Amino acid sequence: MIEQLPIINLLLLLGTALIIPLFKKRPFQLSLTLCFLVLLTVLVSSVFLLIHVLEYGEFYYHFGNHENLIGIEFLIDAFSAFFTVFVAALVLVIYLYSWKDKTEGIENKEFGRYYILLFILLFSIFGILYSNDLFNTYVFIEILSITSCAIISIKRKKETYTAAFRYVMLNEIASMSYLLGVALIYMITGHLNLERVATSLQSIWPLYSTNIIIAIGFMTIGVGIKAAIFPFHIWLPDAHATAPSTSSAILSGIVVKIYILVLVKLLFRVFGMEIVEALHIKWIMLILGSAGMIMGSIFAIAQKDVKRMLGYSSVAQIGYIILGIGLFTEAGLQAAFFHIISHGIMKAALFLSVGVIIYYKHVQKLKDFEGIGYQMPISMTVFSFGALGMVGIPLTSGFISKFNLGIAVIDANLIFFLIIIILSGLLNVVYYFPIVISAFLKDNKEMQKIPHIEKVPNIMLIPILTLGVAIVVLGLFPNLIMDIIVSVVATLF
Amino acid sequence: MIILQKILENINYLGGIALFLIGLHTVVTHSNLIKRIIGLNIMGTGVFLFFVAIGNVTGGEPPIMTEDNIGAIFINPLPSVLILTGIVVVVSMTVYSLSLVIRIFETYGTIDQKELTRLISEQNNHD
Amino acid sequence: MNDTILKSITRIIVPFIQVYGVFIILHGHLSPGGGFSGGALIGTSLILFTLVFGVKKAKVKFSERVAEISGSAGIIIYVLVGIVGLVLAGSFLTNIEAGFPAGVAGTLMSAGMIPIIMIGIGIKVASTMITLFHTLVEEEVR
Repeated sequence: MIEQLPIINLLLLLGTALIIPLFKKRPFQLSLTLCFLVLLTVLVSSVFLLIHVLEYGEFYYHFGNHENLIGIEFLIDAFSAFFTVFVAALVLVIYLYSWKDKTEGIENKEFGRYYILLFILLFSIFGILYSNDLFNTYVFIEILSITSCAIISIKRKKETYTAAFRYVMLNEIASMSYLLGVALIYMITGHLNLERVATSLQSIWPLYSTNIIIAIGFMTIGVGIKAAIFPFHIWLPDAHATAPSTSSAILSGIVVKIYILVLVKLLFRVFGMEIVEALHIKWIMLILGSAGMIMGSIFAIAQKDVKRMLGYSSVAQIGYIILGIGLFTEAGLQAAFFHIISHGIMKAALFLSVGVIIYYKHVQKLKDFEGIGYQMPISMTVFSFGALGMVGIPLTSGFISKFNLGIAVIDANLIFFLIIIILSGLLNVVYYFPIVISAFLKDNKEMQKIPHIEKVPNIMLIPILTLGVAIVVLGLFPNLIMDIIVSVVATLF
Repeated sequence: MIILQKILENINYLGGIALFLIGLHTVVTHSNLIKRIIGLNIMGTGVFLFFVAIGNVTGGEPPIMTEDNIGAIFINPLPSVLILTGIVVVVSMTVYSLSLVIRIFETYGTIDQKELTRLISEQNNHD
Repeated sequence: MNDTILKSITRIIVPFIQVYGVFIILHGHLSPGGGFSGGALIGTSLILFTLVFGVKKAKVKFSERVAEISGSAGIIIYVLVGIVGLVLAGSFLTNIEAGFPAGVAGTLMSAGMIPIIMIGIGIKVASTMITLFHTLVEEEVR
């Protein structure tokens, strides 16, 4: 039975997306509860899968009982099981928040459609993580890119259209180059299954090196554009800033990370260490990662809109992850994976707490944040925890990930990048602390006169409080997930 | 002469790559949004042509099994089947981006990227 | 568009296109074609109808609700057939091993579940094509 859980997860998500349109005339609350139950089931079954995989090892799922030479294959190992748990848990929290947040330009009529898109997005994410096949990954990536564009443009405001259009264009260029890379790989190996491709690439690497280099170039650039690695990040701030808050949290916290995980899969499972070292991909990734860390932070300082600032901050944080992966050591990968988790949680907390502020006060400019801490203590506190985590203050999960990354960099004898990590942390201080300080400490007489707890629905506050607590808990007890991450990384080497 | 022969031998791959590059050039350089979408379609066609060309086997027959051709050499049908999925994806992407263009035209009154950039920056300065 | 020739020709030609689409769908396991190609043909016939007679009349013939439900139904057929394989043979989308009749190769009634799946895909593709077209046309009108 437990072997069937991955497909059951996928079918549950897809089935929910299909069932939601049928609820049009029934009470809306019913379909919301149904969605919640489905998400909970998916989370529980992902946790079961993770426990099973950690105990008994990886297993394959063959569609239609065809072997992997001709059939489609899912691989459920610690890597995919762990990240599906992360995605399911984070989406569950964000989903609870989205119940009440209907003010942001999503019309009521569209709200059912929003959940359809959300479930198809989740379906494609699970598919990408489980899939052990290059072309299937492509198909799921395409579903993911269409739905992630659509959850931006569902907000009927004029800025979203241009942002979504740019996102679509770059996404499509990226998909096409990924597909061309797959074609080149298929041309020389005759396989699409990751493991078969990997074994035949090892043997034909001396023969067809030009072909392989071009294929790697197309595929990594394709995934890199979607993952917003530094020079390809131009779509990200616009897209993440104009989207509804829940979409921003999902896009920034999860979707971008999924593409990075695809990149990890390609580099470690398909191409293998020998080819990666021969092509100096290590240095390319280290340099692009550190450039992203510095430039993302510098761009973020100049922003006036809080959500755009968070978007540029994502660019910087993706730089940390790329730097960690680019070390190509176990410690580096562990730090990168921990940062994927902690950044996902922190960014979701930041975007959602900003979402609460937008919901309540309808302000989005940084200058309107003065003294807002007196009016909205809970959401600003969560925001501050997120900001502290981003900067890397001890007791938050951000500190642990940066600390691990620093240790990994020292282990790899690349002290130069340690300086960049510290510099980027300082730059983070420059743009995060003024917001926190002006929100809590700036004298704003009018606002201090009315000290009251925000009158926001509880269902919006509970998710952001959960995320805030999660930041601190991961900061205090990183070993809760670090042990799992160690075994996840072990599957890649 | 050898080069010419090589080109003739690999004309299908070269055609695919050429279409890909023409499409990419169109997407990057044109400021008209509709032309960009057309460029994406050309790009997609290039990739599909390349992918389908891989499946060709010299002297192969169409992969339809009848009683006459059991044991014959068939063309690899898998790339064609895969590309069907790719076509579906590109169609849906095209429709989605066209509907976005319609919305952009409704709100801004133009589909020229330069004009759009000007309007948006004016609006930002106005805020 | 108000052209008598177009209208009468369309009236004649649409059923033929649709029958051809059904033919392509049903012969998906025997010859090139299948669910996608046949569904696209059926969708195209409906698009032709819309182009000639206008969106309003087309909506009467094939309303949004019908398109939505038939689109969902297409995927549901696919998923249910897959689940039959899952239950009977322990893997999603299992064909002959799950007890679908193999039939005689080369005849219409063969290849187990593939014709059923093709019908599902055909319905889905046809309804999706027409929905996409209607959405685009309506956006322009508004």
